[in-house]
Order: sequence, then C-alpha cells, then structure tokens
Amino acid sequence: MSEVLAAARKRDLSSAIAEAHVIVCTGSGGVGKTTTAAALALGAAHAGRRTIVLTIDPARRLAQSLGLRALDHIPRPVKGVEGLDAMMLDMKHTFDEVIDRHAEDARRARRIKSNRFYQQLSGSLAGTQEYMAMEKLYDLHMGGAYDCIVIDTPPTRNALDFLDAPKRLTDFLEGRFLKMFLNPGLKAGRTIGRAVSFGTGVFMRAASKITGAGVLEDLGDFFHSFEGMYEGFKDRAQAVYKLLSSPGSAFVVVATPEPPALREARYFLRRLEQDGMPTAGLVVNRVTLPPPPSLKGLSARKAGAAIAALADGGPEQRAAGELLSLHLDRVDVARRERQAVTKGLHGIDPQVLVDVPRLAGDVHDLEGLEAVGAYLYRTT
Amino acid sequence: MDVASLLDRRLLLVTGKGGVGKSSVAAAVAVASARSGRRTCLVEVEGRHTFSQLFGTQAWDFSEWEFRPGLFGLSIDPEASLREYLDMFYGARHLSRVVVRSTAVEFATAAAPGIKDVLLIGKVKEMERRRDDDGHFHYDLIVVDAPPTGRIVNFLRAPDATTELVNLGPIRTQAQTLIDMLMDAERTNVVLVTLLEEMPVTETLEGAHALRDMGVALGPVVVNRVMPERFDDDERKAITADLDPAGLQAMLADAGVRVSPAGADDLLTLAAGHLGREELQRTSRELLERRLGLPLLELPELYTDDFAEREVGLLADAVTDAVTPDEVS
Ligand SMILES: Nc1ncnc2c1ncn2[C@@H]1O[C@H](COP(=O)(O)OP(=O)(O)OP(=O)(O)O)[C@@H](O)[C@H]1O
Ligand SMILES: Nc1ncnc2c1ncn2[C@@H]1O[C@H](COP(=O)(O)OP(=O)(O)OP(=O)(O)O)[C@@H](O)[C@H]1O
Ligand SMILES: [Mg+2]
Ligand SMILES: [Mg+2]
Repeated sequence: MSEVLAAARKRDLSSAIAEAHVIVCTGSGGVGKTTTAAALALGAAHAGRRTIVLTIDPARRLAQSLGLRALDHIPRPVKGVEGLDAMMLDMKHTFDEVIDRHAEDARRARRIKSNRFYQQLSGSLAGTQEYMAMEKLYDLHMGGAYDCIVIDTPPTRNALDFLDAPKRLTDFLEGRFLKMFLNPGLKAGRTIGRAVSFGTGVFMRAASKITGAGVLEDLGDFFHSFEGMYEGFKDRAQAVYKLLSSPGSAFVVVATPEPPALREARYFLRRLEQDGMPTAGLVVNRVTLPPPPSLKGLSARKAGAAIAALADGGPEQRAAGELLSLHLDRVDVARRERQAVTKGLHGIDPQVLVDVPRLAGDVHDLEGLEAVGAYLYRTT
Repeated sequence: MDVASLLDRRLLLVTGKGGVGKSSVAAAVAVASARSGRRTCLVEVEGRHTFSQLFGTQAWDFSEWEFRPGLFGLSIDPEASLREYLDMFYGARHLSRVVVRSTAVEFATAAAPGIKDVLLIGKVKEMERRRDDDGHFHYDLIVVDAPPTGRIVNFLRAPDATTELVNLGPIRTQAQTLIDMLMDAERTNVVLVTLLEEMPVTETLEGAHALRDMGVALGPVVVNRVMPERFDDDERKAITADLDPAGLQAMLADAGVRVSPAGADDLLTLAAGHLGREELQRTSRELLERRLGLPLLELPELYTDDFAEREVGLLADAVTDAVTPDEVS
C-alpha cells in the first residue's frame, strides 16, 4: 500500500491548477482548506488563468492580504497578482441574493425577508451554507468571466456534508413537513388520504401546543411565500452537482497528519470515487518534514551521546545539544506522522499526495501562500 | 474564578474552535473529576461517536451508562430528546405513530433548530437537578462537549430565542429554568479551549467577549497542546546571535558528531523555525492573559502515536495537577 502512496507523492497539483475549471477544497475543520484554496488560486493565476477564489470565513489577516475588507459579495482584484480575484462568501448575503433574484417580484422578496423565520432558517436549515456556496459557484460559472474558480468549503462537522447539501435541501423541500404547509387542503383542515391527515392533524395540534398559537401560521406563511422558487432551487442544485461531476472539476481533499482528519479524508476520497467525482488529490497539511539529506547520517545513538556531553557546557554547547535533540524529535515525529498517513489511507489511492510542511508562522499573506504553493505545485 | 475550583461547578460546557481539542479536553476533565471522587457524567451532543471511539467502548446512546467507575456517559441525540419530550407532555400513546414522530422531528430539527437546542439543554438540566433518594444531587459534575465557538452563542441563546419565537406552551415555561441554570456562575461555567496559535486565539477572544455579553460565566481557559520550551534565554541568544554553521560544526565535532557544513546550516534553520513557534506560543499566551483576565490551564502536546484513552488519562493527570493546590513542602 505504501507504494501507492509513494507513487502519489511523486505527483503534484500542477495539472489541476493548469486545467481545472472548478477546484473544490474540502476537508474537516481547521485543516487548512482556506489556505490551500488561496494558494491554489494563486498558482492558477500565475499560470496565466483568470482566476477567482471564493473563501469562506478566512482569518482576518489573510482576508486583508487578499484585499477583502467587507462581506460585500463583490469579487475584488488581489493587489499584486495579475488575473486573481477574491471574494468572501457570506451565507446570509447569498440567500438574500437568491431570494431577490428568483422571487416573483420585489414585494414577495420583501415579504420573505421580513418573515421572522427567515433569519433563523436562512442560517440553520441543514445544508444551507453548503447549498449557498454552490449557488455562488453556479453564478460565477454561468457568468463566464473566469477560467478557474477555486472554492473553499465551510467548516462542517463532516466533510461529506458539502456533497450531500443539495440532496438534503431538496429532500427537505420535498418533505412531508413542507407539503403540510403548502397543501391548502390541509391548511383548511380538509382531509386528503386518511393516514396522512390523521398524522398531520395530531402533529399540528401537538406542535401548536409546543409553539403556541400563531407561530405555525407564520411558518406556513413563510413557506407559502417561497412557492414557485422550489423548482429553481432544485434545478440549480442539480446543475451544480453536474458541474462538479464533470471532468472540468477537481476536488482537492485537505487533511492533517492526524487520525481524525485522515479518517475524514479517507471517507471523502472513497465517496468521491463512488460518486464518480473527479478527484485531484490529497493535501496533507502541516506535516513535519523528514530531515534533509544533509542530516540523514546523524544517528540517534551518536547524537544521544553528544547531547549528554554537551549538556554540561556553556550556553552555546547546551544550545548545540538542544539542536541535536530537536533534530531527533523531529525525525521521530516525522516518522509517526508518516505512519499515521499510511495507516489512515490504507486501501486508498489518492492519485496525488502532497505534503505541505507546517510553516513557522500562520499563513496570512501572499508570501506565505507562495510558500504553501511551492509544495502544492512543485515547479520542477 | 480560579483553576482550583474548576471541578466545583455543577456543569461545564466545553467549547472552542473546531479541532482544537474540545472533545479531548472534555474527556480529560471528566476523567479527572471522576478520579477525584465526583460522580461525573460526560455528555456528547452532536452524535458523532467521538467518545465511544476515544474510549474504545460500545456506541453511546440516549441512556446514561457508567462506562468507567464513577464516570457516566451519554450521547444526547436531539431526535431522541424530542421524542422523550413529546412523550412526556403528550403521552407516548398519541405520538407513537411513526409518521407523526418523524414529521415532528423534521419540523424541530430543520425549521426551528433553536427548539432542538432547548431540548438538549433541557435534558442536561434534568440531569443537573436530579436528586437521589437521600436528597443529594445524583451527579456532582456534568461535562458537556458543547458545540464549537462559532455556534455556542446561538446554542446557549436558544432558550431565550425560543421564548421570543414561541409564546406559549411548555417549552416557554421550561426555557426560563434553563436560562436560570446557564446564567448562574456557581452552577455553570463555559470552558474555552484554545491553542497558542493565531486563529484559535482570535476566536477565543471573540468567543469570550460574546459569551460575557450574554452573561454566561467563563471558567479557566484551557490552553491545549502546549509545547515545552526547549531553549532558555541564553541558549536562544546563542542560536540567534552567536552560533554560525562553522562554529556549530566544530562544536559538534568536539562532542563526537560529524555533520557537513550543509548539515550544520540545516540544524540552525530547524532551530530558527522552532524558535519561531516558541515565540508564537509566548505572544499568544501573553495576548490571552492580557485580553481575557482569566486563569489559563495549560495541557501539554502529547507526542504519541495514537490518541485514545491512555492519552486522555495523561491530559487528566495535567488537569488534576492544575486543580490541586500546590503542597507547601
Ligand atoms: N502549512 C501551514 N503552516 C502553518 N500554518 C498553517 C498552514 N496551513 C494553514 N495554517 C494556519 O492554520 C490555520 C487554519 O487554516 P485554514 O483557515 O486554512 O483552515 P480551514 O480548514 O479553512 O479552517 P476552517 O475549517 O475553520 O475553515 C490558519 O491560521 C492558517 O494560517
Ligand atoms: N494535547 C494533545 N496532544 C496531542 N494531540 C492532541 C492533543 N489534544 C488533541 N490532540 C489531537 O487533536 C485531535 C482532535 O482533538 P479533538 O477531537 O478533541 O478536537 P475537537 O476540538 O473536539 O474537534 P472537533 O471540532 O472536530 O469536534 C485528537 O484526535 C488528537 O489527535
Ligand atoms: Mg476555512
Ligand atoms: Mg469534538
């Protein structure tokens, strides 16, 4: 199995940034999705492609470096990088946009947006965040202004959420609960089909006891005001899914060399394969690099003896000794991490595997992104 | 609020940025609490099987079970709470129909997630108030692996928000008792977990601010994965100012280790990177101390192959040390 990984380690993501029309960076929380997305976009722009990176909730300093100040939903050129735009994705804002664009008229749009459930729902409906990222992606794709769209995904509890979002949303939209509110017959209390109406009747009574009078009516009103838009939601969700499954797309899975993140990555890679989604490869971020060739010959035994000898010296000797033990520890950590990756990916062929080392500080400027990029698309 | 009284609350809600170690810390605190003789319950609220994996036990479910002596575990599944709740108020008989239940569950989890959170907190409150026949509280401490910082405020605000959306009914009556529990500094503390890195620190500062605004009491901040400092001031100075590759090479040769000039250079580069991380740790710690005014409880980075019950035990040792007042020798 480690031969598969060794082969994957020989490749990198340069063809993805040279060719893919859509790049999706995904992975579990905090592993470096936003950083990787920005670094890949930088690489695509360097390759002469008109590129946009859609970031979600970037660290403030990274946002600043990308020239993103406000959640204004307008692509901004990144200063100092030819051909690169960046945009911050804000869920609420995208939802508002979708409503404005697709509601029958402005009055209906206003009515939806002023509903007391709208705020709550637009942020919390399962899959909304991911769905909205897809809406934006669809927009940018249809707009045709970019050769390459790199999209970051929201920190979800499960990397799979992103792929499942359209399905979950459409399931919900088609679900029993909605039907109940949308069905005027039920609203008027008439019966349609005994089993359902019995259940619904009891449910409505129970639910209004929980929520109090008036609330369910408001909720029903809210769903009614959406009428006519559901089909559009579903159609676009399907269109995006198709776009993402097309060979022009590339999924980049990001993980860190730790078992939970690797577990997620593994599920995700599996899932991409099952669904026939185009996978570009796996990024293992924040790894401890194995020692450079210059230090390969430094054995633990020899170094160990020297460390003991140097410990009694002056500050310089002691510092030199500490350097040796730092080196030994690094060798050890690098080895463990390698093992974790091999174990975590057992039975999986990611095709491409890039290790990105843990840099000395946070990655919050173009220089840092270039440094990460240098590993993602080794120019050699 | 001092570190020593961490385990003297009734309820600890452990939160932090994604991936910083919330679950590990919640588990370690619970283990330390149980070891101190407190009857403790560790609660999972997101149904991710984190703890059954961490402790290598059977899957956890909606019933509390003593998975280690004095240490109970429970995974609160919102759907199960909803069912229990509905059964409690409307009688299982009426609501046992599958169609009704699943519709109700769909309703609560999709359309009004606040209700789901209220039910979760409601379950916790029931456990917190539960008394044995002798009148003593059933649990001494309940530790909740709470939602991450990004969601914790909405989570804790759910009872309040529900009273705004929902104007009648038993949920409303119940909501106030939940608010009472959450806002009582003697009963409930929120424990923020962070790393000494830029993003988690920023998120911790913002989270602390928002939580204080809503009137929730903060316990000590747990700083997880702290690297021990390797170099003292003199050694640091030696590396940054005095040692050059040739000097280092010579010194190592004296001690019996031969490295090439390139090797010596690489060792110094390695050191510079490491010193950068130590520096980041120091500035992050200073920032936390300066801006939060809360005690910090530091847990070490464990350099182990795996992360399982043994590792939780090691972190629990550190928690125990921190809550035990120094012995005067
Ligand atoms: N290779 C690296 N070396 C050092 N720091 C890194 C590296 N990659 C990412 N970071 C830092 O780690 C933090 C998390 O990275 P990032 O924001 O990209 O993760 P994410 O997966 O997008 O997180 P979230 O799930 O919260 O959106 C940032 O502070 C970033 O600067
Ligand atoms: N003190 C530590 N030393 C070494 N590794 C640690 C330490 N604490 C946590 N970890 C590592 O970090 C991983 C994530 O920890 P944990 O699951 O507790 O984080 P979390 O904040 O609960 O994550 P999530 O946001 O996904 O719920 C652990 O599986 C372990 O590998
Ligand atoms: Mg991100
Ligand atoms: Mg967790």
